[in-house]
Amino acid sequence: MEVLREKVEEEEAAEREEAAERAEWARTEKMMRPVEVRKEETTLTQETLRDLEKKLSEIRIPVSAELPAFTKDIIDISMLPVSYKTNTPKEEQLLQLADNFSRQYSHLCPDRVPLFLHPLNECEVPKFVSTTLRPTLMPYPELYNWDSCAQFVSDFLTMVPLPDPLKPPSHLYSSTTVLKYQKGNCFDFSTLLCSMLIGSGYDAYCVNGYGSQDLCHMDLTREVCPLTVKPKETIKREEKVLPKKYTIRPPRDLCSRFEQEQEMKRQQEIRAQEEKRLKEEEERRMEAEKANPDALHGLRVHSWVLVLSGKREVPENFFIDPFTARSYSTQDEHFLGIESLWNHRNYWINMQDCWNCCKDLIFDLGDPVRWEYMLLGTDKPVLSLTEDYSGINDEDDVENLDKEDEDKSFDMPHSWVEQIEISPEAFETRCPNGKKVIPYKRAKLEKWAPYLNRNGLVSRLTTYEDLECTNILEIKEWYQSREDMLELKHINKTTGLKTDYFKPGHPHALRVHSYKSMQPEMDRVIEFYETARVDGLIKREETPGTMTEYYQGRSDFLSYRHADFGPRVKKLTLSSTESNPRPIVKITEQFLRNPAKPAEEDVAERVFLVAEERIQLRYHCREDHITASKREFLRRSEVDSKGNKIIMTPDMCITFEVEPMEHTKKLLYQYETLMHLKKEEKLSRHQVWESELEVLEILKLREEEEEVHTLTISIYDTKRNEKSKEYREAMERVMHEEHLRQVETQLDYLAPFLVQLPPGEKLTRWQAVRLKDECLSDFKQRLINKANLIQARFEKETQELQKKQQWYQENQVTLTPEDEDQYLSYCSQAMFRIRILEQRLNRHKELAPLKYLALEEKLHKDPRLGELLKMFT
Amino acid sequence: MNRLYDSMEPRVIDDGMLKLAVGEQGPQEEAGELAKQEGILFKDVLSLQLDFRNILRIDNLWQFESLRKLQLDNNIIEKIEGLENLTHLVWLDLSFNNIETIEGLDTLVNLEDLSLFNNRISSIDSLDALVKLQVLSLGNNQIDNMMNIIYLRRFRCLRTLSLSGNPICEAEDYKMFICAYLPDLVYLDFRRIDDHTKEVAEAKHHYSIEELKHRENLMQARLEEEQARREELEKHKTAFVEHLNGSFLFDSMYAEDSEGNKLSSLPGVSELLEAYRDKFVIICVNIFEYGLKQQEKRKTELDTFNECVHEAIQENQEQGKRKIAKFEEKHLMSLSAIREELEMPNIEKMILECSTDISELFDALMTLEMQLVEQLEETINMFERNIVDLVGLFVENVQSLMAQCRDLENHHHEKVLEISISTLEKAIKGDLDEDLSEDVRALFVDKDTTVNAVGASHDIHLLKIDNREDELVTRINSWCTRLVDKIHRDEIMRNRKRVKEINLYIDHMKSELDNLEYSDILD
Repeated sequence: MEVLREKVEEEEAAEREEAAERAEWARTEKMMRPVEVRKEETTLTQETLRDLEKKLSEIRIPVSAELPAFTKDIIDISMLPVSYKTNTPKEEQLLQLADNFSRQYSHLCPDRVPLFLHPLNECEVPKFVSTTLRPTLMPYPELYNWDSCAQFVSDFLTMVPLPDPLKPPSHLYSSTTVLKYQKGNCFDFSTLLCSMLIGSGYDAYCVNGYGSQDLCHMDLTREVCPLTVKPKETIKREEKVLPKKYTIRPPRDLCSRFEQEQEMKRQQEIRAQEEKRLKEEEERRMEAEKANPDALHGLRVHSWVLVLSGKREVPENFFIDPFTARSYSTQDEHFLGIESLWNHRNYWINMQDCWNCCKDLIFDLGDPVRWEYMLLGTDKPVLSLTEDYSGINDEDDVENLDKEDEDKSFDMPHSWVEQIEISPEAFETRCPNGKKVIPYKRAKLEKWAPYLNRNGLVSRLTTYEDLECTNILEIKEWYQSREDMLELKHINKTTGLKTDYFKPGHPHALRVHSYKSMQPEMDRVIEFYETARVDGLIKREETPGTMTEYYQGRSDFLSYRHADFGPRVKKLTLSSTESNPRPIVKITEQFLRNPAKPAEEDVAERVFLVAEERIQLRYHCREDHITASKREFLRRSEVDSKGNKIIMTPDMCITFEVEPMEHTKKLLYQYETLMHLKKEEKLSRHQVWESELEVLEILKLREEEEEVHTLTISIYDTKRNEKSKEYREAMERVMHEEHLRQVETQLDYLAPFLVQLPPGEKLTRWQAVRLKDECLSDFKQRLINKANLIQARFEKETQELQKKQQWYQENQVTLTPEDEDQYLSYCSQAMFRIRILEQRLNRHKELAPLKYLALEEKLHKDPRLGELLKMFT
Repeated sequence: MNRLYDSMEPRVIDDGMLKLAVGEQGPQEEAGELAKQEGILFKDVLSLQLDFRNILRIDNLWQFESLRKLQLDNNIIEKIEGLENLTHLVWLDLSFNNIETIEGLDTLVNLEDLSLFNNRISSIDSLDALVKLQVLSLGNNQIDNMMNIIYLRRFRCLRTLSLSGNPICEAEDYKMFICAYLPDLVYLDFRRIDDHTKEVAEAKHHYSIEELKHRENLMQARLEEEQARREELEKHKTAFVEHLNGSFLFDSMYAEDSEGNKLSSLPGVSELLEAYRDKFVIICVNIFEYGLKQQEKRKTELDTFNECVHEAIQENQEQGKRKIAKFEEKHLMSLSAIREELEMPNIEKMILECSTDISELFDALMTLEMQLVEQLEETINMFERNIVDLVGLFVENVQSLMAQCRDLENHHHEKVLEISISTLEKAIKGDLDEDLSEDVRALFVDKDTTVNAVGASHDIHLLKIDNREDELVTRINSWCTRLVDKIHRDEIMRNRKRVKEINLYIDHMKSELDNLEYSDILD
């Protein structure tokens, strides 16, 4: 309500002073048009206002201490470029203009808060807000759309509350600094987001306004987490088919209409009561959840981003809260008012009344009555041609014309901010330190950068039962790039049910695995990617006593198999290695219709009652029938009373046939069917047994995978993929060596001699010859020098050795064994050195002439001398 | 080599031989014992082997209706006969016999493998019915004309062919010729044809094959055209307005009308005839188009009806199935409960309950069926009314159009009469045109002759028109009656069948319960 009262007061004042200031206003006005303020009836007295003021001044704002303030001391300004530290003349001019504008504004609307026009930047230099926006298109395709952009900004930066929640900040840092330190207040957030959005083509604006407490403190605890909201099931309404001409009449309804009506009434009453009760409950709950009323409601300064429709196929204007990356409609009640907004070209002041939050605002920036602009740019949004057009009278237009001519020349200077850059590492890590926790209403969302957790965990959503977040209801964990393709783990704390979801590619083609314990033969459901399996298994459900399997797309049309197990028979000699499968009591198999067979020969269901030695068959129902054939085989005794072997008797097979057929009555047919079924039974039992084994195997594998949790690394991920890194480094090394070798071969023999000659002139033949001779003689000299050097060393070494030997000869008697050892080792080393030097000398002597000749050859071939020398020879 | 039958006693296929063969080749061991107990019916036998039996004549095989494989090799059969009933035959072996011509295979449409190896066949023909033929063995015969190969082109599935030991194999071009003319063939004389041979053969006989193909295509096109025309006519016939989309009726009117033709040579008549013809044809086309439209209407009517009836029956069946499923579930439970129950009075009570359940189910199913019968009867009656109305309307309109035709004819007749009279007058006066033929002149001797001639022509025309009209009306009426009859009959059949089915099921359930009772008592 405060905001309302303030507004009213403000308008009153404006009204009073308007008349007096008209004249002066008209003179001083250069860039502003007369401000029209809406008149409203005032119902508040001055006393109440004063009271209010008093009360307001008494309110102290608790500033949360745990959040680190983003102060200037931390920022290293020495590395910043010059545009950060100084203002260009154009910027100076702009600042003057802004000052002028601000003065006029405060003069005309003295009770409105001063404009947020040119806060100081990190180098204490005032910069105009529009120039702080640096439209940038990010090189990441993920950041092309507004939602992902906003999500990135909200993830990447840590929120710091405003130093004074009632005032815009005194400093507005460049986006580069904000990105570097990964924290900022709402203005920093919205500046960065706005830069990115404008860069990717949106019609976006930074807004300086008032928000609710939740919004300003990035408090989502009263918001339902978007991840917990279940998508609304779209109820498909069945299209009512028009009754065709010959549709049969429904049978006569013999129920009493009256009774039906009575019943309906009763039902309705019950339902109404129920609804009422639910409603009350809901209300009570809502009441409990509602926040304490905020004393500073409507005064808290916030900054967010406005996106106008038109560009990038945006159909409607909307707000983006940069803290939470959520979009709101412009009617949302979190947004309580707008002071001003700006983009990289211009600055607009809201002249509309915000008594009803932002619900009545019209975002037609070309309308000078509603939005006071600062620069008369040519590219500002044009007033849309609605009925408002009549509001501008012609005189104004004429008046404005000459002004426009003057001001058109002034454009917004280019942004002083450096190019906004986000390194791929930072982009991938996203959150500061790669971790972020967002509390929601009855939920907590944690996010991690990929590869930060060893087990591939990237986000976790914990849902709580109560508002205080103490009783955990369920946990959802999302994983990424796991080798076992685990995507999501869902733990329901109340039922203890765990459900793992897999992406395609698990070695056992797992899709979903829900279980309570990893012990075999317990309740579990395993779903598979049936196309990845040869047997077309979709789902396998297990309870302690049964196992049910569902199949799809099999050539034998099996669709369902259910096995009942009996209690395990205790073996007397039970060795641990021997498996002891549970006895199978009953197997039920169902088949889909095989179109190649007639219905009465196509088995729909067969039941093997293993314990009772019975087999039941149920056939498919023919299209024009309502009953299906059945057959039941009993295998009671193999031997009759006289001890003769019974092969087949009529009472071993009870048959019901919808259309009795001749050949099926025969014992031979029944016998053959029975034999076939016996074989099938064996196979089915084997299948069930194999399924059990497979479950054991899957469980074992899952446990191993949980233990190891290796992560896969894409071969394109050059940083993490060790193999490719090694390979790349090896390649680089090879390249480097190759480069060195090339440099060596390119060593120019002639360069030192060419330098002596006057540059830029063509060589004469004489010069060429001289050059060649000089070069050769120089080289000869070098070779000789080298030879001499080796010779000298050799001699020196020999002399020394001789001296040492002499010394040894002399003192041989008095020497200690250590000295003798030393001497001997010295000798052997010296001998080695001498030998090497000797070899070198010999080699040099051998190679020197060859090298000389090679150089001569090379000089001959040298393009600079070659021509001339050839002519000469 | 073929056995000479004068050195050995020829035998006849008789019951004893067949029984023996079936017994020997039937199921073995335990199943065999069972089979022996029960006896095997010839019509259930799938495969029969009658080789090395000196059979002279194929006979007595008509009972083997479901036979798939028949081996009659190494006999002294001279003629293929007595196989007409074995329509399921897939494999027929007649090798090492004395057959001279291929015949008697026209009903064996499922035949895939035919062996006539080592016979005395000199030409390949009479195989047209065997569209599924894949393997054909004709080695060691007397085929001497290459043109027989071209006959084999019609068998699209033919993959294996053996012809070795025939006179045509002597020809040096033999293999190439076959490969070229039968490009889909995979095995020839027990050898795979490699791709290279195929290519060479194709290149060699390229031109003649192209020509052949062209001819075949032309033939095919002609056949298709013929087919299309026949279908079109059939469609018109179902609309009962065939041959009315042109001057066919008009032409037929004058086809048998000698007087009319003579009269048309009179001056002025030909123009008259032309105009008359044009008008007549227009009316005919009107009838034709109207007929097609009406046919379309009747068809949609019938389709909707069928659809609705089908839906109703489906719905009813679903209900029945649901009822039965529910019953069975309960019934199974109570049966097992009875089995486990020990107290006799309790058992009796439960059995009683079960039987009431069964009769309840019976009642429910029968009620459903009766309800459906009533509903369908109503619908059928409605449909009948509508279709009869439609037909009546059609007939009425056609009749009025035909009446227009008659009017035209009358009008034309008057005109012609007028001209004839005037011509007669001229003739009497003697100033007839010279260029009239003798026949025509003969008509104008006196008034009676002239009038009679014109009248006869007129009568013929009217008769034709009447005939056409009558034909149309009778045919459509009989169609209508037949349709309605069929619908009624079908519905009755359906009802009978359903009632029978329900009774059968209920009887089975009751007998099952009775059995249970007995067994309990016995226990």
